[in-house]
Amino acid sequence: MYQNHHQALLPDEDLAYTILADLKRVTREYATGATEANCDNVRQMFTNLMNTTLHLQGDLYRIMKQNNMYSAASPCLKQEIDKQIQQNKQNLQKTQQLVQSITGGHQQHPPGFANLVTPDQVHQGNMQHPQNPSYYS
Amino acid sequence: MMQPLTAKELEYIVDSISNEDLLMKQCAVTAATATTPGIRQLCLQFQQVHEQNYNTLLSALNAHQSLAPTQPSNS
Repeated sequence: MYQNHHQALLPDEDLAYTILADLKRVTREYATGATEANCDNVRQMFTNLMNTTLHLQGDLYRIMKQNNMYSAASPCLKQEIDKQIQQNKQNLQKTQQLVQSITGGHQQHPPGFANLVTPDQVHQGNMQHPQNPSYYS
Repeated sequence: MMQPLTAKELEYIVDSISNEDLLMKQCAVTAATATTPGIRQLCLQFQQVHEQNYNTLLSALNAHQSLAPTQPSNS
């Protein structure tokens, strides 16, 4: 029945891309599983599995790029970034004014607010290496 | 504290087991047939990770087995 000839029916990039696409999908499904979980243990398990899968996806993407199997999108133009910064600065100002008019200038920070990690801090290397999903094992 | 699994959690766990199962097979095929050494090597490693993930999900089902009610609740 099974012959050991191991002949590829698809080119390497198609095989790799199929796995890459599934890893992206599974990462999202684990995120959904975590957000929909009721039990803390289940949430933790899905979170760990999400991190592991995201890590695998990144590793595969890197190898595919190194082997010219995946062409990254072309860089966006500087003026497009400038435009977006300008637009979103204005937008932030409007939102801040709106929020101020709603709260009457009294912004109440929930307990522990100061401990929240800002996106800047994440970029400075605060990212944790994904742990093995060994919660249940 | 461990709580009984909800029907939704069970569905997600079972769907995830199918996903890990498929990925194990895909990685095995790619590791066996790909000609790019980097891809082959990576898929061999991935196959083991997916097997670990499969076992993690299966262990979650085992851990919740004894907590599950045997009759539907009225609430």
